[in-house]
Amino acid sequence: MKQSLARIRALTGRNIKELLRDPLSLVFLILMPLGMEILFYFLFSKLTSQFQMKYLAPGIVVFSQSFLTLFSGLMIAVDRSSAFLTRLYVSSAKPHEFIFGYAFSLLPISLAQSILFFVVGGIIDPSLFSARMIAAVAVSLIPAVFFIGSGILFGSLCTEKSIGGVASILIAGQSMLSGMWYPIDGLGKGMLTLMNVLPFRPATLLVQNLLGGVASPFDDFVKPLLIVLAYTVAIFTAAIFAFGSKMKAK
Amino acid sequence: MSIIKTEKLRKVYKDVVALEGLDLAIEEGELFSLLGVNGAGKTTTLKMLTGLTKPTGGDAILCGHSILTESDRLRGLVDISMQETAVARKLTVEENIAFYAELCGQTKKEQAETVASLSKTFGFEKVLNKQAQKLSGGWQRKLSIALALVSNPKILFLDEPTLGLDVLARRELWNTISSLKGKMTIILTTHYMEEAEALSDRIGVLKDGRLLFVGKKEELFALTDKNSVEEAFIELVSGKGGQPA
Repeated sequence: MKQSLARIRALTGRNIKELLRDPLSLVFLILMPLGMEILFYFLFSKLTSQFQMKYLAPGIVVFSQSFLTLFSGLMIAVDRSSAFLTRLYVSSAKPHEFIFGYAFSLLPISLAQSILFFVVGGIIDPSLFSARMIAAVAVSLIPAVFFIGSGILFGSLCTEKSIGGVASILIAGQSMLSGMWYPIDGLGKGMLTLMNVLPFRPATLLVQNLLGGVASPFDDFVKPLLIVLAYTVAIFTAAIFAFGSKMKAK
Repeated sequence: MSIIKTEKLRKVYKDVVALEGLDLAIEEGELFSLLGVNGAGKTTTLKMLTGLTKPTGGDAILCGHSILTESDRLRGLVDISMQETAVARKLTVEENIAFYAELCGQTKKEQAETVASLSKTFGFEKVLNKQAQKLSGGWQRKLSIALALVSNPKILFLDEPTLGLDVLARRELWNTISSLKGKMTIILTTHYMEEAEALSDRIGVLKDGRLLFVGKKEELFALTDKNSVEEAFIELVSGKGGQPA
């Protein structure tokens, strides 16, 4: 057990270094969402409530997390293609240790995203600073785990070349189906149902509601939480199986 | 006592027999080269011996442990450097070695000692702080092999270690591999016959999954009436040089 934890810690440290040394990951995980948060607030917040900071900041947090899928997937796909995973598997590490190593390396980055985008939002709109912000930061880690699990799944199944395309489907899903960029009142019933059963809108609502205040505990918190949790468990289970079977196949 | 002993080792992929009834004994400290054309069964043999794939039949005992029932106990006793360079690309040479040492359960002090020792063996001093992705192919391959030594394995598998390297890098790597002789048992697969000739204590020749020959190069020369491993190998696998071993 102690040795296993030491290996997970070593893998986590290595993965964090690899991620932080990739300039593109810093651009997509931090700089671009930060620019969007500031720019969209000043451009559109007076035109539509969608871009008021209490909605925009949580939306940006979850949107930025969707890029974790791309970078976790890319890291795994590259490791697989370079035989790096195989050599580690022969010498010491076990499949579940790799999965924890990937997941734990991305969670601190996700936490940093949440804190940064909420604090910047709070500087622009000081009414955001409250105990609810701490709760929103904590709960935002649940969608982060969903996106990390998706990355592990896609990275296990895709090649280094195809992972970008596949991950971008999820990023586009988060962007278009979360309802964060446009008012959804005029949308048809079918579209609304689709948005409510997929994880993207519930993930955004979950964090938005915690920051803005929960009026109905079930509708505003429990329901979106259960939907996101269900997807997270399902995608992580699939990721564990996919990663394990790919390791065996290798 | 043999450090590796295979008994009727067999591997079948769907309807293709990759390896058929391999009986082989390798002594401790030996450098053994496994030769064969593409598809002869070399990499399949290595994969089974390192626990990456299960045999269809037979067994192999490495360091007293069966690959069928005790493959977990082989971790730390065997290591492999594969055909592909397998390093963490954005870590420096030093970080790669330290990371691998940490995975093997070494303390910080032991990690530093491992870095120092491997730097000396492989001449990494000048590139220690360079990211692996910025190294030449030869240096990357050296690092890849060095990582396989971090756990101080009793058996080291080198799968075509000099594939794709220029002649100077290859010679340099030969010197490094030569310096490891006697310190551990090394199983080498290669397509470069001069490599096998220069480095090996004994040679095994596989063809279509069957072991055609096993012995010293002098015995191979005598069997085929040739005086180089390359000529003798061609003679043997083209069917003119004798019966399966």
